[in-house]
Amino acid sequence: MTAVRKKISRRRTPLQWLFEAPSIGKMAPGTAVFVYGLLLFWTLVVLFPLYWVLITSFKTALDVNNGPVFLPWVDFTPSLHAWRELLVIDYEDTLRSYINSIVIATLSTALCVAVGSMAAYALARITYKPKFGNILLFVLAMLGGCYVVWKAGVDWKIAMTAAFAIWFFLLKSVGRFFKKSVGNGDILFWMISQRILPPIVTVVPIYMMFQNLKMLDTHLALILTYTVVNLPIVVWLLYDFISGIPIELEESAQLDGASRFRTFWEIVLPLAKPGLAATTLLVLILAWNEYILAVFLSTSNAQTIPILVAAMNAGERGILWWSMCVVIIIMIIPVVFMAILLQRFISKGVLLGAVKG
Amino acid sequence: MSTVGKQGTPSRRARTHRISEWLDRQSSTLFITPAVVLILVFSLFPLVASLIIAFSRFRLRAGSYQVRWVGFKNFEKQFFGSEQFHFLGTFKGMSVLGWVVATVAGVLILYWLYRYCRQKFWWLGFIGRIISALMAFGLVLLFSATLLSGHQFGTLGVTLFYVFVGCSLQFAIGLGLALLCAQPIRGRTFFRVVFFLPLMITPIGIGYAFRMLADTTKGPFSPAWQWVGLGDFAWSTDPWAARLFIVIGDSWQWIPFVFIILLAALENIPKDHREAAEVDGASGWQIFREITWPQLLPVAATVMLIRLIEAFKLVDLPNIMTAGGPGIATESMSLHSYFAWRSLDLGQSAAIAYLLLITTVVICVSFFNYVVLGRLRQGNA
Amino acid sequence: MQNPTSEQSAQRLTLHALNKSFGLVHVVKDLSLDIHPGEFLVLLGPSGCGKTTALRMIAGLETVDSGTITLGDEDITHSLPKYRDIAMVFQSYALYPHKTVFENMGFPLKVSGYSPDEVKEAVHETAAQVHMTDYLERYPRELSGGQRQRVALGRAMIRRPSAFLMDEPLSNLDAKLRGHMRAELKRMQHDLGTTTVYVTHDQIEAMTLAHRVAIMNHGVLQQLGTPAEVYDEPANLFVAGFMGSPPMNFVKGAVDNNRFTATGLALPVTQYTGGSEAILGFRPEDAEVVAADAGLFNAHVFTSEQTGEYTLVTLELNDDTVTIKMPREFNATIRDTVGVRFPVNKGFLFDATTGDRNTGQLS
Ligand SMILES: Nc1ncnc2c1ncn2[C@@H]1O[C@H](COP(=O)(O)OP(=O)(O)OP(=O)(O)O)[C@@H](O)[C@H]1O
Ligand SMILES: [Mg+2]
Repeated sequence: MTAVRKKISRRRTPLQWLFEAPSIGKMAPGTAVFVYGLLLFWTLVVLFPLYWVLITSFKTALDVNNGPVFLPWVDFTPSLHAWRELLVIDYEDTLRSYINSIVIATLSTALCVAVGSMAAYALARITYKPKFGNILLFVLAMLGGCYVVWKAGVDWKIAMTAAFAIWFFLLKSVGRFFKKSVGNGDILFWMISQRILPPIVTVVPIYMMFQNLKMLDTHLALILTYTVVNLPIVVWLLYDFISGIPIELEESAQLDGASRFRTFWEIVLPLAKPGLAATTLLVLILAWNEYILAVFLSTSNAQTIPILVAAMNAGERGILWWSMCVVIIIMIIPVVFMAILLQRFISKGVLLGAVKG
Repeated sequence: MSTVGKQGTPSRRARTHRISEWLDRQSSTLFITPAVVLILVFSLFPLVASLIIAFSRFRLRAGSYQVRWVGFKNFEKQFFGSEQFHFLGTFKGMSVLGWVVATVAGVLILYWLYRYCRQKFWWLGFIGRIISALMAFGLVLLFSATLLSGHQFGTLGVTLFYVFVGCSLQFAIGLGLALLCAQPIRGRTFFRVVFFLPLMITPIGIGYAFRMLADTTKGPFSPAWQWVGLGDFAWSTDPWAARLFIVIGDSWQWIPFVFIILLAALENIPKDHREAAEVDGASGWQIFREITWPQLLPVAATVMLIRLIEAFKLVDLPNIMTAGGPGIATESMSLHSYFAWRSLDLGQSAAIAYLLLITTVVICVSFFNYVVLGRLRQGNA
Repeated sequence: MQNPTSEQSAQRLTLHALNKSFGLVHVVKDLSLDIHPGEFLVLLGPSGCGKTTALRMIAGLETVDSGTITLGDEDITHSLPKYRDIAMVFQSYALYPHKTVFENMGFPLKVSGYSPDEVKEAVHETAAQVHMTDYLERYPRELSGGQRQRVALGRAMIRRPSAFLMDEPLSNLDAKLRGHMRAELKRMQHDLGTTTVYVTHDQIEAMTLAHRVAIMNHGVLQQLGTPAEVYDEPANLFVAGFMGSPPMNFVKGAVDNNRFTATGLALPVTQYTGGSEAILGFRPEDAEVVAADAGLFNAHVFTSEQTGEYTLVTLELNDDTVTIKMPREFNATIRDTVGVRFPVNKGFLFDATTGDRNTGQLS
């Protein structure tokens, strides 16, 4: 074939000068204007609502209701009344919600990451072969238990224990005749698919369950619920991350006589640190900001801070925009702090190894 | 480990040895049991319970409740009964356009099935495709009969609008921002942190903040509104404006998620692939299309799957920004179910929740099977 | 060097006083090379000496701090890679994982706007040249190392560029395949007649492939010459020690009164002009072990190794050790005292302080 050599023209056309990089790793002036323009535009899009929330928290009712004012000290005199009301006068309510949120979010995140990383590790490294028939039996036993509770009005504790006992008996007796089994992939898919469940589907039964256990409006109820809701995410992200760790490291640790727990604790977890950090941050954010489950499961004792935000709309005085903005701001601060702390890991850990599938 | 320890009497050492060995032997069970039990108790049990409720009429009595089996009544009501307008939309005959679109879609779907049968037939795959096809055709029919025929659509349509318009918007902008940040720019860390911010804010807060911003009389943009003569226009009174407004709020929050993952994926593409293409004479656009985009696709598909799953659950924003209004114009299915629960109609609430679940599962699983798996296979190639 | 089959006249590639720093590290220092049209130039040097950086500057993947690069009669110092008409084979091959062999090889033509038919024809032609015709539908991960290497080569060749750049393309292959590919590469470059810059740290590759070798150390060009020249006339201690395997023997000593002296030896020298601290060098293959007192100097046998092809005898001479290549049937007893002999014109003298080769000769 004939070679056609692209002509290198030393004189670049104006269009090239504008949009073609002068050399590698540099931007042409036109491109630079375009790129920085868009970046700054989006920075504005992101920051303006936050700015508005911030200045609104220093406004009085008059400032808000008499049309927009933009610049403190120029347009209006900033006032600390909302801050004082929430942090000094009414501080008990705020503080309680705040502490509730901190306790619930951190504990549920810790639990979630602990349980989730163990499951992710197990699914990545240990082969499971539960028999299909046994799973079916279990579901049937549980359904039977539910049916008995519903129709015959048996106490649910007795019914469930009995159902579990029957299943266990069947497992030990007929269980070994089943041949077909499911694999790790199926278990993983089952766990991850739980994330598809809209909270609205599960929240009513969970509500009734906690009502039955007299656990409504307790921290534990919210902690457990958040843990389960976020568990699929943790398993999903960490499964990929852990699968990517060279297995030789674990094998050599096992040859050195380390137990599985020790291998997990001393080899796997430290290596999965970026993934753990990113996952923790994501789960923490989700738990911290969660609203709809909290509405169902807490009233006053375990009230979290998103509910406090919504509560600013409940009084007869209309929406207390200024107070609401104060709550939103004090809500954002710890998460931003966490994010900056963990930001080093995010870009490394966030990639979920999704490429591997 | 404990056997190596020098302290402890021999018998005690032996005992701890036995315990730790037993633990080690059971470790495969111990590792996975907590997760399985938690999910069983908090997901599977409620799923079953909720199914039962969906088939019952549920009444709260003082301190207790009463459940009565009503069969498919709750579902019937959504599809054919008094709640039809609410769930599906208003049907008053189909327009010509509606007929055309529905027919074309039907033919296309049949062709798609036919093509599958010609290739390689696997009965499970076939059943899956039948389900996807039925769902797709049902949705197209719904779309033609309501929107294309000039009638209102119900919460199902609104949910799908949020999901598809929202996810597309988030993907487009998220990808754009990731590409911008992958340029040789200064202050990349700054932009990265700033762009990440909206993800950290509670949806409630976003809902109220956007309500303030969108206020055409007292919000920050009110001078602009006044200036173009839309001073008394209110977003929350126009159905489409209100829906758009919610999609914008949702996107504002979730674009960072798409952005941060796509940026990580971009940075993870080996540098020398780009450079090789550069030396081979490819232009910027060619490098993007031929090198970057194909290698980005697997991650992009996964991110969109996550977003798709989450988008179906949207409830906070419409609840706060418009309370579902005007009328039912911005009510998502989750919100619909929530309102039903608030009016203590638990049966209805559960039925709607189940319909949402079915829609979500079919669409997400379809997306996973036809798009994500395909992309992953290509990515591995 | 210039061959009749090439359809396009080869281009001259000139580097003039190139400099490159990464932060405070000065990686390439004043590198000037004049590469003739159609020449196969090998850039040789130890790991980390800046070879890859130099190559990437030629390709346009790294900006140049100062200096110029010209290809043919055009200054390409600051042009974008895509305008340079240069092809590069990366050390990692950089094959696109999502493209088949066919698509990988066709990519350079596709992006410069050739029609699919032309691309197809050219790919088949090139694939035949690199013996990959049977693998066109495979993905890179389904290929062996040598096959990948050939695909990368094909992708570089297909465009008939003005110059080839190759960054250690053979380093990922096993020894046997490397020898084979070396021969193929040499033949291919000969047939195409394209100016080529080839980076390696393997001196055998350099000796066998190159028309000329440029030896670099710490970013500085040490010597430029034909393989025979750099081998026979090393410009300094570094080049002398780098070329040859086992490397040249060095004996530290001093020159005064036209004599090179070290403990246990004193040899007459002529025309030595350097400082008094000097180093005597000679190659293992030029010397032989003889009976004590029959050679230029005496030494003790430290060990002797059989390699199958020959025997390597290591001798102790004061603090230095000296290695000598002997025929395979040679036998040496450890701790024996033996003599060492080599032709006086095969001895090199270096100035120990500057490291430069001195015109001085043994006599
Ligand atoms: N992008 C970079 N940033 C900072 N330092 C760099 C960069 N690239 C290379 N270096 C440094 O420049 C020096 C020369 O690197 P170069 O890759 O050119 O070596 P090389 O001769 O190709 O080595 P090798 O034979 O190992 O490939 C090294 O010390 C390296 O650490
Ligand atoms: Mg190198």
